[in-house]
Amino acid sequence: MKLEMKDIYKSFGSNDVLKGVSLTVQGGEILALLGENGAGKSTLMNILGGVIQMDSGSIFLDGKPVHFHTPAQSQEAGIAFIHQELNLINDLPIYENMFLGREPRNRFGRLDLERMIRETEESFKRIGVNLDPKTMVRDLDASYKQIVEITRAMMTNASIIIMDEPTTSLTDQEIERVFEMMKTLRDHNVGIIFISHKLNEVKMICDNYAVLRDGNLVAEGKVADVTQSDLARFMVGFDVRTEPLLRNKRLGEEVLRVEGLTDSERNTFRDVSFSVRAGEILGVTGLLGDGRSEVFETIFGERKATSGKVYISGSEVKISNTRQAIRHGIGYLPRNRKENGIVKDMSIIENASMVTMPFFSKRGIVNKKKHVEDFENHRTSLKIKMEKINDLITSLSGGNQQKVILAKWLSVNPKLLILDNPTQGVDVGAKEDIYDIILKLADENIAVIVLSSEAQEIIRVCDRALVMYHGEIQGEVEGSTMNEHDIMTLATGGVLAYE
Amino acid sequence: MSEQKPVIGNEKVVAKQNFFEWFVKKWKSDPLFSIGFVLILMIIIQTIALGFDFPSFEAWLTNWLNNWINILRNNAPIGIVALGMTFVIMTGGIDLAVGSTMVATGAFAMMLLDTGANGILGGLGITGVPAIIVTILLVILLGYLLGSAIGLSVAKGLIPPFIATLGAMLIFRSVTQHFMKDQNPSVPTDFLQIASFKIGNLMIMPIIYWAVIALILYYVSKRTVFGRQIIAVGSNEKAARLSGVNVDKVKFNVYALLGVLVAVASIMQVSRIGSMDVANAGRGMEMDAIAAVVVGGTSLMGGRGSILGTVYGMLIIAVMNNLLNLFDVPTFLREAFKGFIVIAAVFLQRKERVQ
Repeated sequence: MKLEMKDIYKSFGSNDVLKGVSLTVQGGEILALLGENGAGKSTLMNILGGVIQMDSGSIFLDGKPVHFHTPAQSQEAGIAFIHQELNLINDLPIYENMFLGREPRNRFGRLDLERMIRETEESFKRIGVNLDPKTMVRDLDASYKQIVEITRAMMTNASIIIMDEPTTSLTDQEIERVFEMMKTLRDHNVGIIFISHKLNEVKMICDNYAVLRDGNLVAEGKVADVTQSDLARFMVGFDVRTEPLLRNKRLGEEVLRVEGLTDSERNTFRDVSFSVRAGEILGVTGLLGDGRSEVFETIFGERKATSGKVYISGSEVKISNTRQAIRHGIGYLPRNRKENGIVKDMSIIENASMVTMPFFSKRGIVNKKKHVEDFENHRTSLKIKMEKINDLITSLSGGNQQKVILAKWLSVNPKLLILDNPTQGVDVGAKEDIYDIILKLADENIAVIVLSSEAQEIIRVCDRALVMYHGEIQGEVEGSTMNEHDIMTLATGGVLAYE
Repeated sequence: MSEQKPVIGNEKVVAKQNFFEWFVKKWKSDPLFSIGFVLILMIIIQTIALGFDFPSFEAWLTNWLNNWINILRNNAPIGIVALGMTFVIMTGGIDLAVGSTMVATGAFAMMLLDTGANGILGGLGITGVPAIIVTILLVILLGYLLGSAIGLSVAKGLIPPFIATLGAMLIFRSVTQHFMKDQNPSVPTDFLQIASFKIGNLMIMPIIYWAVIALILYYVSKRTVFGRQIIAVGSNEKAARLSGVNVDKVKFNVYALLGVLVAVASIMQVSRIGSMDVANAGRGMEMDAIAAVVVGGTSLMGGRGSILGTVYGMLIIAVMNNLLNLFDVPTFLREAFKGFIVIAAVFLQRKERVQ
C-alpha cells in the first residue's frame, strides 16, 4: 500500500500548525518522522488517524483520495495508530485484548474463547512472536505490551502503522525486541511511521526520514545518507552541540556524603556510597531497574532506607520526609514530569511558588507580590517562553514546564539539586537550555546531581558519573575519559579493564 | 511553540464575537459564570412565582425579603457544612459522617446544658452565660476531635475517605443514640438566643454566621498557603509532597476543619429548635452538602474547587426547594428534583472530552 498526504494545512485559531506538508509512506518502509515538540508531528498524525480534521489538503491511499472524519474510518482503511500510552487493559489476558470491541461469539451468544486464543496464536506465529495468548497483560513487560498492541493492529489488517515514541519507557533489550518486530512487519510489506526523539534509534532501524519544523517539511531522504548530527540540525535549524561542555571547575566543600545506603526491604538498592562537592556536577546513570531513582528519592525523604548514613555538609542527618530534606538545602526535580512534577490544575506562578510558599508567607498568607517578583527574575535567566503567569501550567511546552519546575527550587537557595531525568520529553532546543542552566547552577557553587539514562547526556554535562547496575554502584567514570562504551559496559554489569 | 511568526497570514485577526458566542465561551470556561447565571434565572422565576399582587411596593418587598430570609436561615447550617465539605472534596476526599457528627455534637451540647438533674454543667454549678460559652467551646472541641479522628485515619491510616467516614458515620450516631437513650434534656432559653436573637426585628443571626464563615473560607482558599496546598494535594498529591507540602497535615486539617464547622452548624440547629432528634437529625445531610459542592462546580476528583461556587450551589438547591413549595409539588417528588438538578448541573459544567 502507498499512503500519500499532500499539502496538508491546519491551524488552531491564529496558530498555523501545518503549512502545506506532504508526506509519502510505502508498504515495506520504515519512515522516521522527526521534529521538535510543537513542530506539528502529532497534529499531522492525528489528521491521518482521523482524530482531527485538516483545513485543506488531501490524502491518497494507493492513489484513491480518502478523508477520515473519525478514528474508526482511519482504522477501517488500514491505518493503525499506536499511542505512547498503550490502549491495553491490564486485567484481561492477551487474547481478550486482541478482540476488544469486536469479540467473536459462538452460536449461544457466549464469547468464543477458543477462537480468540487460536487466532491470536496464529498471528503470533506468523510474525514470529513467542507469547502465550493466555498471559495476563499485567504480567508483560513494556516491550511485549508494545508487541501485543502491534499484533492487534496487524490482526485488523493494518497496512500502515504509526508508532508514537514507542521506545521511551523501554530498556535496551526491550527496544531490540520491538525493533525485531518492526523488521518482521517491514518484511510483511507493512509501512511504519516511527516517531522518535532518539536519533541513534532512527539511524538503527529506519529507511527514510522526514523532518518537520514549525509546520513545514524541511528535509526528507534516506537515513543512510545522513548522520545523527545532520538530523539534529534539520530539527532545530542550527547546529546542535554534542561534545562535552568542559568548564573550569571550582570544587568546594563536600555537600553530601552517603555511606552504605541500603533498602533491603524492597531490595531496590544496596550498599550505595558516594559523595558530591559544592560546584560539582555528578551524573548517575544505568539501565531501567538500576535503582538510581529510588536511591535519590530516599535521600530526599520520599522513601525509607533500611540502613546507611547520610551526611550533609559533614554532619549526619536523618531525613524522613521531603520537608526535612528541603530544610537541609536539598532540591529535587522528579522524573515523569506529568505524574510527579506539575500540578495541572494550577497556574504557572502557582506551580513556581509551591516550594517557596511557606518561606515567603507571613502567618500563612501567600505573599503573591514576592512570588511574582521572584519568578520574573528566574523567567529571564531560565529563558521561559510563556504568555501570562496566570495561565495554566499545561499551556506550556514540555521544556518550559520543566524550567518552571526547576525555577521553584532556585529561590530556597539549595546547596544540592537532584535532577532526575531533567530532559525527559523535552525538545532539542530546550535540552540545551537546561544543560546551560545546570552548568550555571554548578558555577554558583551548588552541587548538582543529574540522573539520566542517556549516556550522551551524562558525558555532555557531568564532571563525574556513577554507573549503577541492579541497585549497586558498578563503577565510576570521570572527566574527559568518559565515553559511552565504558558507561554501557558498567551499566550492563561489566567491569572496566583498567580498574 | 516557536517564536517565529508564520510568514503567511500572520495578521492577528481579532474575530468579532457576538453576544451569543461570548456567552457560550464564558459558560464553558467559567463554572462560576454558568451557575451564577442559573441562580439568577431561578431567582427571577421565584420572584414571578411569588407574584406581584400586593397593595404597595413595600408590601411586595417585605414579602420577598421575608421569603429570602427564611430560605437563607433554613439552609444556613447545611450551607456551613457544605463550605467545609468543599475543602475536603478539593483534596480528593469525601466526608459521609457529617450528619452523625452533627448529632453527636448536638447531643453533647444538650447534655452539657440540660436544665434537668442530669445536666453536666448545671451539676458543676455553671449556669447562665458562662455555661453557654463553655458549651460552645466544648462542642467545637468535640467537633474538632471527631473530625481529627477521621483526618487521622485518612491521612496517617491510609484508609480511603469513603470507607473511613462511612465507618465514622455509623459509629458516631450509634454511640450517641446509646448515650441518649434514656435522656430527655432541655436547654435553657438563653441558649436559643444564639439563633433567634433579632436584629431590628429580623431573625438573621444564622445568616450572619454563614456569611462570615463563607467570607473567611473564601479568603483562606484564595490567599493562604493552606488554601493553595489543598488544591495541590487534590490535583497531584505526589507532586505536592515532592515540593515539600505536608500532605498528611493538609488532609488532616480539612477533616478537622469540617468537624469544627459541623459543630458550629449543630449549635445553630440546637439553639434554633431547642432540641435534637438523635435518631433522625442530620440524616442525608452529607448528601445535601455534597450536592451543593458538586452543583457549585467542585470536582469530586479533587483539585480546583470554589467556595463561592458552593454558596451558589447551596442557594440553587435552596431556591429550588422554595420553588417546589410555591408550585405545590407533591412531597415525594421533591427529592427527584434535587437529584435532577445535581445531575443537570454537572452535565452543564462537564469539560469537553479530551482526545
